[in-house]
Amino acid sequence: MNRSLTILTAVAAASLALTSCSGTGAGQANKEGSKAELTFWHGYTEADGKVLNKIVEDFNASQGDVSIKVQTNPWSVIDDTLLPALSSGNGPDIVAMPAERLPVYADKGAFVELDDFYKDPASNLDKLIPAAADMETVNGHKYGVPSGFVPLAMFYNKALFAKAGMTAPPATWEEWIAAAKKLTVDENNDGTPEQFGLGLPDHATVANGVWPSLFYGNGGDIVRDGKAVVDSPENAETLQTWVEAIRNDKISPSGLDGIAGDKLFSSGKAAMYLGGPWMSSIAAESKIDYGIAAVPAGPEAQAASAIGISMGITSQKDEAKTAAAQKFFTYFLQKETATAWSLGSGWPPLRSDIPAADVAANPVVEALTKQSEFGRPLLPGVVNSTDVLTAVDKLTQRAVAGENIQDLLRETQTSVQKILDTK
Amino acid sequence: MSTTMHKKTSLKTPRYRAPAPLGGRRNPAIGQRRKNFQALGFLLPALVVLAAFTAWPMISALRLSFTDASGFGKEKWVGFENYARIFTDPVIINAVVNTALYAVLFTPTAVALALALALLLNDPRLPFRGFFRTALFLPFIISLAVAAIAWAYLIDPHVGLLNYWLGSAGIRIGNVLQDPVLAMPAVAFVAVWKSFGFYMVIFLAGLQEIPGSLYEAAKVDGAGPFSRFRHVTMPMLSNTTAFVLIFALIAALQAFDQIYVMTGGGPYGHTETVVMQIYTSGFRKLDVGFASALSYVLLAATLLLSVIQFVFFGKREREGD
Repeated sequence: MNRSLTILTAVAAASLALTSCSGTGAGQANKEGSKAELTFWHGYTEADGKVLNKIVEDFNASQGDVSIKVQTNPWSVIDDTLLPALSSGNGPDIVAMPAERLPVYADKGAFVELDDFYKDPASNLDKLIPAAADMETVNGHKYGVPSGFVPLAMFYNKALFAKAGMTAPPATWEEWIAAAKKLTVDENNDGTPEQFGLGLPDHATVANGVWPSLFYGNGGDIVRDGKAVVDSPENAETLQTWVEAIRNDKISPSGLDGIAGDKLFSSGKAAMYLGGPWMSSIAAESKIDYGIAAVPAGPEAQAASAIGISMGITSQKDEAKTAAAQKFFTYFLQKETATAWSLGSGWPPLRSDIPAADVAANPVVEALTKQSEFGRPLLPGVVNSTDVLTAVDKLTQRAVAGENIQDLLRETQTSVQKILDTK
Repeated sequence: MSTTMHKKTSLKTPRYRAPAPLGGRRNPAIGQRRKNFQALGFLLPALVVLAAFTAWPMISALRLSFTDASGFGKEKWVGFENYARIFTDPVIINAVVNTALYAVLFTPTAVALALALALLLNDPRLPFRGFFRTALFLPFIISLAVAAIAWAYLIDPHVGLLNYWLGSAGIRIGNVLQDPVLAMPAVAFVAVWKSFGFYMVIFLAGLQEIPGSLYEAAKVDGAGPFSRFRHVTMPMLSNTTAFVLIFALIAALQAFDQIYVMTGGGPYGHTETVVMQIYTSGFRKLDVGFASALSYVLLAATLLLSVIQFVFFGKREREGD
């Protein structure tokens, strides 16, 4: 009697475990005619997150058809959990992610194609900065709406500049390198400066935009019209110039990555640094009196690689939800909302018809808005951009480590072209 | 069966008494069947969990490894294409070579260090043995990721305490984690530091199993300390050693956390391992089919190496008898 009872309980427990396992797969059906309820994942976790959540709340209150629920997680967590969430049918309806991640997901069919939405005159999308819209093109179609677009800017430490007797930030490469040399201090002459003129990471920077910015400045590029153009005399010259400055003049430590670079600037050990809007809060927290300037102009062009965030509509849901998500994007890009978002997030406005004067209330945004015209999206539409950027990362690291630049360029050209060909 | 066993053991080792047979049924056949059924009932919850979270993912990964699955949407059957890619892709081959290098750096070092310290700590003449055992085991309790972050800070070229101390002594080690030659030894070192305590404890348990009478007999025969280690300790420890070696090798082939945290696979791919490639393929590139194929190749390699070790040590043990 007792024994059969234990067996019964065991079986019951087992079947319970089984049913609870299989329960996760079922999605929640959206009832016809009722309010569309969407979930929105984003990684804006600082002050910008509060502003975005307020915009969503205002949107929910502004109409009765759509209700959006926000879920905040760091960007890396979103990237790691999106795939399992989508494959189990529990993914978000709208998701924001670093722009360079969008093509990977879009190519696998994770996002709704938005070509018709872009053509709709009521969508506000025709007001977007063209380069920001370019960022959303994958295989010739639009798959996302930008929530952020900003060129890399130069942050400089005003106190260190004053100490060296300088006031204005450099405007050209020549001035830039001269200033960096002047700001590099090796007090005890041991070959390792205590203060570096510039923090120039050679790998793993945010969105890997530092070296592409330098390549653009001298008329070079990485990929043009789907073809690898790494191995060019322009790129060779760019690498030569900067590797020499790092290796011989020690203007920047070698082997620096993005996180170490942030630390170097925020600890006052680097006088100049390239970064995005978040650098202003990092610098302010470390009590560094900083200025913002455009990335100095190269011999051929003034350009900076842009960092972006894209929002996509996941393709697992029905048409009603897609329409509801588009309604939110239209609201998000209204002039008033876009201005408020820019001021609150610290990123320049996404619409080309909002001038710097409109965002003067936030001096950082004002300064960055003036540079918006220099911004170029990094590898727009290149599906395997992760692999291409890894190859470029290897190129710059090995160049800074002292390997032969010509050989490296030739090797990288081949590997980048191979990566482009695999898709 | 059970009664004869009982008699035998009680005759040979009088201190040991086998427990009375459970149930005491008249008909042993019925009792046995009932017992089996009962055992199954108790095991069932665990078996269900094991099936749902271990067996099922393994089977579905095997199926996925023959497709171009991305985790959502439709998937296409591609046959052995993913497997063919593994043996031709230079990035994967680089990762395989790195994993082998890591295993060569990690496994012998961790096992030798663990054995040496176990022998030392097994000596009753050593004072504060309990303290040392605990202290040396301590790193194992810490999460590998946490240990990796701590070590990365210690050897950071700009803010690292270890670099600062060595610098005051006039030694410059530079940016170890960004050095293509030193990066792999550095991550292997952290893994050894983290895990040798665990292997040491297993060795200690193995050492305590060896009857003292064997050493006394060897002493009487005139065997010195090295000879005793060579002819008594090593053969008696062969099972333990086999277990530790297989365990360490599997750990080495699955190296991920400390490398992901400390170098992220860099500098330029010099610390990229197979498991890092599985992660990158699956989660970064959404190439789940390829990641599954890679997992199965890693599984096959691990099994093969384990079997080779097992056979090798099994043979030695039989020869020792």
